[in-house]
Amino acid sequence: MSDFRSELCHRWSQFETRRHFLRGCSMGLAGMWLGGQSTSMPTSVAAEPAHHTGPHFPPRAKRVIFLHMAGGPSQLELFDHKPELEKLDGKDCPASFLEGRRFAFIQGVPKMLGPQFPFQQCGDSGAWVSDRLPMFQSVADKACFIHSMQTTQFNHGPAQLLLHTGNQNLGHASFGSWTMYGLGSENENLPGFIVLVSGGKTPSAGKSVWGSGYLPSVFQGVQCRSQGDPVLYLSNPDNISRAQRRRSLDTLQRLNERTFQETGDPEVLTRISQYEMAFRMQTHATEAFDLGLETQEVQTEYGAEPGKESFANNCLLARRLAERDVRFIQLFHWGWDAHGASQSEALNGGFNDRCREIDRPITALIKDLDRRGLLDDTLLVWGGEFGRTPMRENRGGREMRFVGRDHNPSAFTMWLAGGGIRPGTSWGATDELGYRSVENVVTPHDLHATLLQRLGLDHTRLTYPYLGLPQRLSTITQSPKIIDGILA
Amino acid sequence: MPSSAMRWCSFVGITLLICPLLIADKVLADDTKIDFQTQIRPILIESCSACHGGVKQAGDVSFVYKDQVLPPDGWVIEPGDPESSVLIERVKSHDPDTQMPPAGDHRERLSEAEIELLEKWIEQGAPWDEHWSRAPLTDPLKILTEPLKKTNLESTSWPRQPLDRLVEARLKREGLHPSPEAKPAEWLRRVSFDLIGLPPSLEEFESFIERTTGIKDRQQLDQIYGIEVDRLLASERFGERWASVWMDLARYADSKGFEKDPHRDMWPYRDWLIQALNQDLPYDAFTIKQLAGDLLPDPKPDDLIATAFHRNTQTNTEGGTDDEEFRVAAVLDRINTTWTVWQATTFGCVQCHAHPYDPIRHDEYYAFMALMNNTADTDLDSDHPTIKIPTDISQRDDAVTKQRHYHERRHARNQLGYKLATGDQWTVLQPTEVTSTGGRLQIADDWVKREGGTFPTGVTYTVMTDATAMTALRLEISPESADPTQWPEQGSLVTHVEVALQRDNEADQVVELTDVFVDAITGDYDPRSVLSEKPNRGVGGYPKLHRPRWAVLLLKEPLTPKQNDRLKISMKHGASVTGSVATPTRNFRWAASNNSAWTELLAAANLKQATEQLATAKRDVDAIQGAALPVLLSLPKAAERSTRTFIRGNWSERGEKIRPAIPVAFSLTPNKIQTRLEMARWLVSDANPLAARVWANRIWGQLYSQGLVETQENFGASGTLPSHPDLLDHLAWQMREEHGWRLKPFLRELVLAATYRQTNRMDESSQKRDPRNRLLSRGPRTRLTAEMIRDQALAVAGLLHTGIGGPSVMPPQPDGVWQTVYSGAQWKTATGPERYRRGLYTYWRRTSPYPSFLMFDSPTRDICSARRIATNSPLQALVTLNDPVYIESAQALAALAISNLANETPVEQSNLDERPTAAIAWMYRTVTQRQPSPWEQAELDSLYRDLLSEADTKATVTNAPSLALDAAALSIVANTILNLDRALTK
Repeated sequence: MSDFRSELCHRWSQFETRRHFLRGCSMGLAGMWLGGQSTSMPTSVAAEPAHHTGPHFPPRAKRVIFLHMAGGPSQLELFDHKPELEKLDGKDCPASFLEGRRFAFIQGVPKMLGPQFPFQQCGDSGAWVSDRLPMFQSVADKACFIHSMQTTQFNHGPAQLLLHTGNQNLGHASFGSWTMYGLGSENENLPGFIVLVSGGKTPSAGKSVWGSGYLPSVFQGVQCRSQGDPVLYLSNPDNISRAQRRRSLDTLQRLNERTFQETGDPEVLTRISQYEMAFRMQTHATEAFDLGLETQEVQTEYGAEPGKESFANNCLLARRLAERDVRFIQLFHWGWDAHGASQSEALNGGFNDRCREIDRPITALIKDLDRRGLLDDTLLVWGGEFGRTPMRENRGGREMRFVGRDHNPSAFTMWLAGGGIRPGTSWGATDELGYRSVENVVTPHDLHATLLQRLGLDHTRLTYPYLGLPQRLSTITQSPKIIDGILA
Repeated sequence: MPSSAMRWCSFVGITLLICPLLIADKVLADDTKIDFQTQIRPILIESCSACHGGVKQAGDVSFVYKDQVLPPDGWVIEPGDPESSVLIERVKSHDPDTQMPPAGDHRERLSEAEIELLEKWIEQGAPWDEHWSRAPLTDPLKILTEPLKKTNLESTSWPRQPLDRLVEARLKREGLHPSPEAKPAEWLRRVSFDLIGLPPSLEEFESFIERTTGIKDRQQLDQIYGIEVDRLLASERFGERWASVWMDLARYADSKGFEKDPHRDMWPYRDWLIQALNQDLPYDAFTIKQLAGDLLPDPKPDDLIATAFHRNTQTNTEGGTDDEEFRVAAVLDRINTTWTVWQATTFGCVQCHAHPYDPIRHDEYYAFMALMNNTADTDLDSDHPTIKIPTDISQRDDAVTKQRHYHERRHARNQLGYKLATGDQWTVLQPTEVTSTGGRLQIADDWVKREGGTFPTGVTYTVMTDATAMTALRLEISPESADPTQWPEQGSLVTHVEVALQRDNEADQVVELTDVFVDAITGDYDPRSVLSEKPNRGVGGYPKLHRPRWAVLLLKEPLTPKQNDRLKISMKHGASVTGSVATPTRNFRWAASNNSAWTELLAAANLKQATEQLATAKRDVDAIQGAALPVLLSLPKAAERSTRTFIRGNWSERGEKIRPAIPVAFSLTPNKIQTRLEMARWLVSDANPLAARVWANRIWGQLYSQGLVETQENFGASGTLPSHPDLLDHLAWQMREEHGWRLKPFLRELVLAATYRQTNRMDESSQKRDPRNRLLSRGPRTRLTAEMIRDQALAVAGLLHTGIGGPSVMPPQPDGVWQTVYSGAQWKTATGPERYRRGLYTYWRRTSPYPSFLMFDSPTRDICSARRIATNSPLQALVTLNDPVYIESAQALAALAISNLANETPVEQSNLDERPTAAIAWMYRTVTQRQPSPWEQAELDSLYRDLLSEADTKATVTNAPSLALDAAALSIVANTILNLDRALTK
């Protein structure tokens, strides 16, 4: 391989003198996988702006684990402690809450709904956490709670797109793709942007929330599974053994080398490298995704059960992938849309199950990353696409059988932990009923700008030309603010 | 905005770096004529337009608009006099208060060379040409432009088509030579994929080689090539290959998009597309039918089906979404898609503000929107309006025609009452008392308005009024707000009306209602449904109220009440939109007429006839079974929406009312375009040269993997410049004028050109001087598209299902890829031969597209995608190595090789050893259209032998001596061949 790599690098420098890449030179894109994935590339190649832009300043975090709670978990039942709301429980919603507002399902004049569960202050920081997350209370000191999140979208699909791509419309690049575009990957045997889904469903906005949009498709998230092949088409078919595959790839490589000599097309060299990487990925990915290699003790700590699809398994996988320097690990856990329309989607129903499903694994993940020294350079992000209303939902204008809350874009809580984030703090606040963020409001764009900054990327300089504009994650029509107050 | 606008220049800088071919290396001799397009505009865009552009026009100076720069209105340039031009003074200044770009700005000062260029240009009179892409179209070969005159065009025999002369002249200017001609096999593989998306069969390949071998006479050879091209153009596979290209632009998908992403019957549109391409429907007709086929006089069934193009927008069925928000999103998507597909213009920018680089003003976006804003679709879950398309093609035309007639009869019948209603005298009925089963109502003068509270679905109002003599009742439904910029509002639909006469001390007496006429038929239901109770049907505005609406309800018998009689009108609102959001009336009043004409109408023969005809038409339509294809349908005049600007592009903040028009900068001649049909005709008229350039460039891009304008989606000032401006114009001219917009003869010309027939081998000089082949110094060498890779594997293995058209199919994909919220949709893997259909028939679900196509750079088709950028990744290797379709193909290919050998004359036992070699050579030839070299053959033979010994040790495969061929080992060899770079490339 090393001959090929040096040949490739040679070709590369011949080819890339004019920064052709941004206009879609496939050579450039191909090199990206190689160049971006390899730390051993000569600097003359790595210095080219082609494969990725590279950090703009020294990073505080090397990688991201983003835990997305799809559906919009209720901040009022988890982290946003509102004793005043308790007093208004069952009363008509004040008119000032309703003027000029449109809800997904609430109609007319709904009733206020007090917090459904008791809160406790925990740790040295005294952060308020409800009794739904008893284990998490023990690690709350590691987290920084942003109580003042606010979005513009009140439907799942658009709100998820906004949170993950910076735009409520389809067609834009996801946070993970931007990170890959900016930093590349440090593991040449695994995809750099891995997505894990639990709860039996993909997010409302579909796979676009980890899509690459207008960025080259090599930057898209690769959905991996904890059941079956972790990466699609990873396994050799039944009738081809690994030795046979190796033997076949040897021939393939030699024939392709000859093709390169005959055509002079450097793309052939890239193809040879990609086949070799695919072969390595077969071993490395299989090993990386094998939870059976963890001790029983660790499995128990997470509540993981190898072979199943669960959020606990995905949390343990997230740690294994972080250890292997996967750049962006995106978890989706579905089922937080507690409207009260059915048992499974109610504060007095499925919400409790969701809390149980995440409490143990998230606590274990934080402790485990910390123990292994990974928390320092891993940025952990938790949250949904929006919050819930302090009013009880009255779908169709009637009282519903189960207890739930409608979508609320004006206030929700997210928390961050790890790489370059000040632990044991909180930021911003909602009004006394938890309806609107009123102090130090944070938008998804602010969050993106801040997280990119922790990764060593300046959100105004991380741009990609498309449709005549230098597109960026923080979008050119917004002027997001870095949340200085939460930085360590 | 200003702060972000500043940053655009960094991107433009990159753009300019990438097109050095045209702007660098110019030496300024005194007599050099400065070219505004390539030398001046780029400087203005890069260094000035961030502050003096379309968005920000500091000091009222914008370098996007000529009239703000040049006299009489502009004041920064004095043509002919650089000394007294403010522009020159400012860029030369070192005074921090006056210099441009300003001191402290992160942009650098203009270089001496740039300033000299500007001075010279002003000296020469500051000629300001319109942007090259919008300039009138002529054929450069006919007028022989300046640089061409300097080159002897007839110096060599290389050119085979007129276009080659332009390519050759350019190569000569750059000191390069064309590459040698490709071998027939190389050309045949290339042209076969480019025209039909499939490799030639072994028979076709061998026949072609046989016919071309030994032919020295150039004309004779060209004739053989021509025949081959004609064979490919006549193949039905042609339409399938080019449909794939258009489907990316059309954002074709089999689902509606967003959350549940439900199924949608879109395949009849794909059938139309394939057929249109196979019949070589000229691009002008192709355009008009797709954008406005419904508005053509006497539209044919195909004209209606073609309009599904713009129904590929997404429908949001998520509970609680605002139907107007997503209706508008669909309309905006249609506008932006139209401008990307036909005009390669980044028109979407103008939604929020004037275009930063191109002369398009903000309100021009909405003037164009006014042309597209009056179709009947409203983001309903049903995708209304749809037409039913029977799967049996022979029934299709009849079925569509019946539906068109039904539609016409609905309107015709309503017209009978409409005329009478608008000319009648109506007396307003003053409500005396109103009650509601939910929420609170109030009486305001003679109107009933919402006061407060919650109005649930099913809410029923009771309105009391004094009874008068009457033959008809009229219900007026108005938006709550008197301010039309606040419209549309939440829907207002009355689903059932009952009227009773109340008299003291007597039981209520039912007043029978018998017919209903409305201001306009909207929705797919009959307004008469308000007489009986049916949810989501009735009179009013649904799902939104865009304007005041009215309905007239006829009494069966004239009412002649006594004094003090009261009328009790009850109005039920059983409708709701997605997410159980109720649509009650919130502002309405009742009126009555005592005109006997209504009673006469009820008895009139023409109404009776219209009713019967409508009933017959409805029966006919109800009997039709088939796919429900969403189509475009214009709203009746009386229900048209007015279009207003969106302030800063926000759909919920509406400004002034706007008349329909197309942006002035884009039309060579003044026009009065008022309708969608006129717009479509304008797009492909001579007045719009851009469309021809964009389409010619797109086709070129398909053959060469990059357009002459590399930004195929952006021909504006911020896009790339054409690498060969004269060639682009020549091609656009040929396409439009010589070939009358027909694709097939145009493609014939391209693939028979010497340029296309060059070998794609990169020699030293072509590699150094033309690394990306922008100068066309060699033939194209490109990776196959996602669809081609699949289709090739199936074709060479003899598995390809050859049926044309029909519903999409689900070939194998890994379990668990489809898991979508709130949806029980299942991927049902096809088990019959249809699992081997061509890639373009693969079921395309937007939220979860077919994974192996995505990996090969297929767009998700959420929105219009103007080009695929080919990448090269290990995940692609995993697909072609391990995806079941490639495994099945490899096995079938090996089996074919074996059975081919068996069919040959029995060989001597002593020759058995050569059988693997023969089988491998056959597979290699079939896949790559090349004979393996002895070295390649030896490599593959040794692979086969090693696999055999591996298999032997595992003892999993019995090596039947009678055949002397091991199918398992041979299929691994086949899998290897299918993964060769040569196999994945054309």
